Amino acid sequence: MAQQVVMPKQGNTVESCIIVEWNVKVGDQVAVGDILCSAETDKSTIDVESTAEGTVLALLFAEGDEAPVMESIAVIGEAGEKVEASAPADPKPSEVKEEAATEAKKAIPVVSDSPATQSAAGSSPRARALASSLGIPLSSLSATGPKGRIIERDVKSASSEPLTPAAIQAALAQGILAPKVGSGMGGRVLAGDLQKEQPASAPATAPVSPSAATVPEGTVTEIPVRGVRKVTARRMMESIHGTCQLTLHAFADATAMKRLRSGFKASNSELGLTNVTLNDLILFAVSRTLTQFPAFNAHFLGDKILRFSSVHLGMATDAPRGLLVPVIRDSQSLSLKAISVEVKRLVAKCKDGTATPEELSGSTFTVSNVGSFGIEAFTPVLNVPEVAILGVGTIVPKPVEAKDGSISFVPHIGLSLTMDHQAVDGADAARFLKALMENIASIDLLLAL
Amino acid sequence: METYDLIVVGSGPGGYVAAERAGALGKKVLLIEKGFLGGVCTNWGCIPTKSLLHSAKQYKHALEGEKFGLEAQSVSYNLGTAMAWKQDTVETLRGGIGFLMKAANVQTLFGEAIFVDAHTVRVEGKEYKADFMIVATGSSPFVPPIPGSTMDHVLTSDEILSVEKLPESLVVIGGGVIGVEFASYFSMIGTKVTVIEMMDEILPMVDGDFAKMMRREMKDVDFKLGCKVEEITSEGVLYTDAKGKKQSLASSLVLMSVGRRPNVAGLENLKLDMGRGGVLVNDRLQTNVANVYAIGDVNGKSLLAHSASRMAEVAISNIFGSTKQRMRYNAIPWAVYSAPEAAGCGITERDAEKQGIAIKSKTVQMRSNGRFLAEHGKRAGGLVKVIASSDTNVILGVHLLGPYSSEMIWGAAAIIEAELRVQDVKEIVFPHPSVSELIKDACFALDHTL
Repeated sequence: MAQQVVMPKQGNTVESCIIVEWNVKVGDQVAVGDILCSAETDKSTIDVESTAEGTVLALLFAEGDEAPVMESIAVIGEAGEKVEASAPADPKPSEVKEEAATEAKKAIPVVSDSPATQSAAGSSPRARALASSLGIPLSSLSATGPKGRIIERDVKSASSEPLTPAAIQAALAQGILAPKVGSGMGGRVLAGDLQKEQPASAPATAPVSPSAATVPEGTVTEIPVRGVRKVTARRMMESIHGTCQLTLHAFADATAMKRLRSGFKASNSELGLTNVTLNDLILFAVSRTLTQFPAFNAHFLGDKILRFSSVHLGMATDAPRGLLVPVIRDSQSLSLKAISVEVKRLVAKCKDGTATPEELSGSTFTVSNVGSFGIEAFTPVLNVPEVAILGVGTIVPKPVEAKDGSISFVPHIGLSLTMDHQAVDGADAARFLKALMENIASIDLLLAL
Repeated sequence: METYDLIVVGSGPGGYVAAERAGALGKKVLLIEKGFLGGVCTNWGCIPTKSLLHSAKQYKHALEGEKFGLEAQSVSYNLGTAMAWKQDTVETLRGGIGFLMKAANVQTLFGEAIFVDAHTVRVEGKEYKADFMIVATGSSPFVPPIPGSTMDHVLTSDEILSVEKLPESLVVIGGGVIGVEFASYFSMIGTKVTVIEMMDEILPMVDGDFAKMMRREMKDVDFKLGCKVEEITSEGVLYTDAKGKKQSLASSLVLMSVGRRPNVAGLENLKLDMGRGGVLVNDRLQTNVANVYAIGDVNGKSLLAHSASRMAEVAISNIFGSTKQRMRYNAIPWAVYSAPEAAGCGITERDAEKQGIAIKSKTVQMRSNGRFLAEHGKRAGGLVKVIASSDTNVILGVHLLGPYSSEMIWGAAAIIEAELRVQDVKEIVFPHPSVSELIKDACFALDHTL
């Protein structure tokens, strides 16, 4: 009996993975645990292992295709066995150029346009009997029978792991097509699994595309929004739409920081401090300042605020595949050197795409540093549900008047603190930013604590 | 340095099951235990208490058997013999676990494990490395800082299992599962038992009607509800009663059974995220450190031996097998092995009210059942309650009080896991005569239609 291998679930936020490379081809022998393909989640690259033993009978997605998690990606069985056509008809990469709306229709079986197929008259008795015992609403099926009739084959192709009696009842009542695998015993589909996805009734929303009148002349390159870009897009919109963001700008005296950095650079390499950067110093200062301001080391969840005793610092990182936010855990208890080592390790993993979902989640406050580009100040966007995010700018000299009236130029680093006004007030943010400025100005003292 | 695929720390029903499952998959596994194989369950919990409770039930049956035609003279209870039987049971099972570990090629090591980092543990100065770690260190009885709580005659469930002399009187502080089981045991063998509970009812996991009947059926035990223990003296216990009046109780022995705390010593270097109940884990039992999993009492999710064993399977599956398995907590049965027994699975009416779930519920008396009546008579108390969603008829909770409850409750777990509805259970054929038929009766009481 042929078995299907599904795209494994990668944490709670990953909806789909892009198949980067198949390691096997149809006809190959595989054992349980063999790596079938590598796939890219929005955050990292994973190896998908075979959960079945036998001959590869079909690969249901092409390289570069996006496979939803828990969806079958390969069929494995005995050589020569017939493969059931249970995979969704996936568009070949070359056909993607078509109108977006039709593409969406092909990718998931949606409500058929023809009203006839939605009535009992548009389906065969065998199809109806099977559909009602399996809990598959007829309205959710694409008909392939003569004259658009739904036949048994259409029902079978939409069938999944068994549904519990409660799930069958709910699926038929609400007209929801069940997911292939549920969260119950042995993958049984529970009533609760149905509420999450509603492909049958969801209208196929066309991705944003310029209307005919405004298409500019010349060659147009269409880039599908997926992977890291898709997650970033969604999270940024959630942040802007769901929070009340206010940014405060300030400049902190960077003399001590620059002096320390020069000292580290010139230090004996055996101490392992030569690579400690200005950014590491900022992260260190933030980790210590946050312990004094628990209101900013927090998540705002609408009806409650969670404050955390540990500072898990997120660090916005410019990776080849887009914006990633690796997390320095328990930064409040790490030494400057330990923070520096951890930052380098995480950045390296982000750059080569091996950071794990665990390393990319669970932050309580985020720092985004664009100082190296010469930016002085900006308005960082909250990494929801965090209460605040610190933007770090470049170091510029600022004129400072001494007590005797003489003017000297003192290096200052730009700090932009965006906070969620739902959770904290402007004065709170000002106090936090002031304390941070003072801690940065006397970072050498902070290090001694 | 020895390196392994997996190191499991703690050999209770979480740890040893994890080690055995991984060993059976051909993985190189090290199981570290600081005490005896089997953990609290085998040595100081589930098993020894069952042995003692069974002996006490036999004794009580002999004493009260006259109405069934059983006339026995000079029946007595020999605590020493009962303890010896208990000890033999414990040692046999402990040996069995040792044998299981050998059969699964699991290496066992005795000593206290200290985590050096996420891949290394140290036991008596020697370090051992592994790709994955399972923390299954369990929990220990919590002794609240009440004045006098460290005196010699104040025992926890660990020590009370080795009493050598039948105590004349016993005060049990805490009316949870452990407190009720020991109260039941000692009251059956002739000790004068008083249970002091701070809340206004015993057994927090059952609805009020069940707790009330349990108290009524345990007629030899004196329950003091809503009472706060202030001090323990060498003569007894001082407490404030529900009305705020100071009271005292004389007692030769005090059992402290107010709860358990996770064993987290030795885990410090892992920097695990901790919650109120213990180590925080996701539904794959993974901690914030990706290669470290925490199962059983130490994560505080469900302090039951069988929960720990299931967590072991889910963790091992996610580490070495399918990453699809998730721990589900909605259908974990529990049982209290007192006389009478009680067991339940799923939500109570109180849970439903708290969570805003619309339910319907029916409770049937056990004496309406043929087998129960034949064996226990018209006066004995027993209840079966079935709770279902009023929207979908899906069965959400089953609660039992009476004989065989612990042996029947797995059926409720199957019903809830399978999301069966009232009308589905009505189609199942139950054996007759059996107390289990009452579950079907309760379903018909919820919906008489055919």
